[in-house]
This record gives sequence, C-alpha cells and structure tokens, in this order.
Amino acid sequence: MRAQRLLIVTAGLLAAAVAGCAGGSAAPAPAPRPDVSGTWVHPGGPGGASLRPAEGFPLTPWAAEKMKSEKPTFSSDFRETTDPAVLYADPNGYPRIQMHPMKFKLVQTDDYVYHLWEYNQNWRQIAMNKEHSPDAPATWYGNAVGKWDGDTLVVDSTGYKASTWLTGQGVPHTEDLHIVERIRRDGDTLVVHFTFEDPGAFTKPWSAEVKYERVEDGAMIETIYTISDELRFRERFLGVPSPIPIRR
Amino acid sequence: MRSQVLLILAGVVGLLLLSTSALAHHGAASLYDVSKETTVKVTITEFVWTNPHVEVGIASVDDKRARWLLEVGSPPNIANRGWTSKSLKVGDVVTVTFNPGLRGTRIGRLLKVVLPDGKELKA
Repeated sequence: MRAQRLLIVTAGLLAAAVAGCAGGSAAPAPAPRPDVSGTWVHPGGPGGASLRPAEGFPLTPWAAEKMKSEKPTFSSDFRETTDPAVLYADPNGYPRIQMHPMKFKLVQTDDYVYHLWEYNQNWRQIAMNKEHSPDAPATWYGNAVGKWDGDTLVVDSTGYKASTWLTGQGVPHTEDLHIVERIRRDGDTLVVHFTFEDPGAFTKPWSAEVKYERVEDGAMIETIYTISDELRFRERFLGVPSPIPIRR
Repeated sequence: MRSQVLLILAGVVGLLLLSTSALAHHGAASLYDVSKETTVKVTITEFVWTNPHVEVGIASVDDKRARWLLEVGSPPNIANRGWTSKSLKVGDVVTVTFNPGLRGTRIGRLLKVVLPDGKELKA
C-alpha cells in the first residue's frame, strides 16, 4: 500500500516536471511569415501586362511632349523606333520589365527579397527593413527597400535611370521617380498595386494594379538579348546592314 | 453619328491592342500584314533558336525560288507552347501558315506549323 502510494506520488511529480519543462523552455511560436515567394507570370499572353491608370497618365507638359516624340515599336515603323530597349538593347528598367510576358520569381530571405526575371536574366534586390542609401547612383532597377505590413510586402523604390520607359508605349519619367508597391498573395494570384510619384513627369501621383498567376513549373529559360541579336534581326528581317561587327 | 465614331475608335483601339499582344519585341503590324495569312507546303532551310525571335527559313516545295524568313516568338514564350530547339530541322517538309511581310518583303510571322507526323505547333 505504501509502495503503491509512493509510486503514484513519484509518477505525479515526474509528470509535473515534464510538463513544467516543456512549458517553461519552449520559445513562443513564431508569427506566420507572409509569403509572396514563387514563380509568377502575367496571364495576358505574349503581349504581357499593361500599366494604364483608369483616368490616363497625368503627364506634365514636358512628359506629354516627350511621349509624343517617342516612336514605340507597336505603333510606328519598326525601323524608326526610339524605344531604348530595342534601339540600344537597354535593360527594360522598372517597372517595364514587370509588364513583360515572361516569368519572374520572388525569393524571400531574412534580409532581402530577390526579384528574378526570366527576360534577360535581370534581377533586383529589395533590402528588408532598411533605409534608402542616401548616395545610391541611379540604376536600371533602382534602389528598393521593403517591409511587411501584415501579409503585404511594401516596397519603396527610388534612384531610377531616366532613360528607361515606364511602359512599352513610351511613358517617360525623371530620376526623381518614386514607386511604392504593395505586393500580396491572394491564393494563386499575386496582386501588385503600384503608386507612382514624379513631379517632373506627372502632375499628381497615380496608381495601377497588375495581377499575376502562379506557375507550377518554376523553371526559367535563359533568354539573354544582346545588341548583336538586335542588329542581326534588323539585318535579316529589315535588310538594314549592321554598322558594327556582330556575332553570327 | 457620335456613337458611330465611338465604335470606330473602339475598333481601332482593339486592333492596336491585338497587334500589341502579338509580340513583345515589336508590334506585329509594324512589319507584317496581319490581315493576310499564307499557307504553303515548304522545306525547312534553317531553324535558329535565338533572341529576340526564333528564326525559320523556308522554301516552297513547289517553287524552290519562293523563300521566306519567318520569325517566331522568343524561346521561353514558344517553349511554353511545346516548342524545343529541336522542333524543326533542315530538310523537314512541313506546312506553315504565316502573316506575310508588308510591301512584299520575303519575311513573315509564323502562326502555326504542321509537322510531318501531323502534330501542330502554334507560334
């Protein structure tokens, strides 16, 4: 009887010790991490996405004049285009590359979110929970910092080269371009809400939203487009001799 | 009258959007007569897997002097539609449908190809 009571007490103490141990040393469960990672594509087909505000682009007189002088490949003779992405095989810049009909991938790490585009194997990095560098030079894909707002990745970016077009239609911008993106996942859809500010190019901030579909197969194919490729295309399809030696 | 003008405008915008969606590198209508389709049985003379557009050289089976250079989409885009860099080879006899070049130029935009085994590849 005494032995039986001792056994029960011992078992009780052991159980209490185990429970205390488990409860006392366990770290609090981490907050669920928002997730926008994966491979995405615009479902609009080969033409890619469009970036058109409902009320039209609020262009300043300078921007309206500049856009009027541009010759996009879609609406003018290809031989005369002023599109820098074709004329010089320049990188698309941002966000134009995001309208391209090829895939892109978002990769999340603790300190950066990487944005990888299939087209031209271009990429940008979004520094998480950091301030903009005060002396960053203007670049094709800007200086982007990000933070989480609930399930939404908020990306604030500046420092874009003024020579790129915002869209294939020739919407211009200056080096003062400031873009805020709110990126969130809605099931198998990625919703990107853009707000653009640029006092030199736009009379007021304007917004547009673009949606992308998740792609099961994350494989991306190398597709690096060079000035040789462009000159070769012009020579073969337009009969325009190349002014410089090109790779055959 | 006003509604007619609006309808015409809507049509023009629609056509512009259609031609825009054809190719990312350039608008189809800037080089090709998108209102015409030519279908012909041809021999493949070259197949180049390159950027900005995959290139297909063809010669008519019936008239070897009738040759065209056709452009297809970019490699990743057509890979999504079942193409590989080995889909065609020189000497293959296939049936192609394409938009011919403007002003009679011997170029074209490939729309589809029917392979010797009857398989169809959309461009």
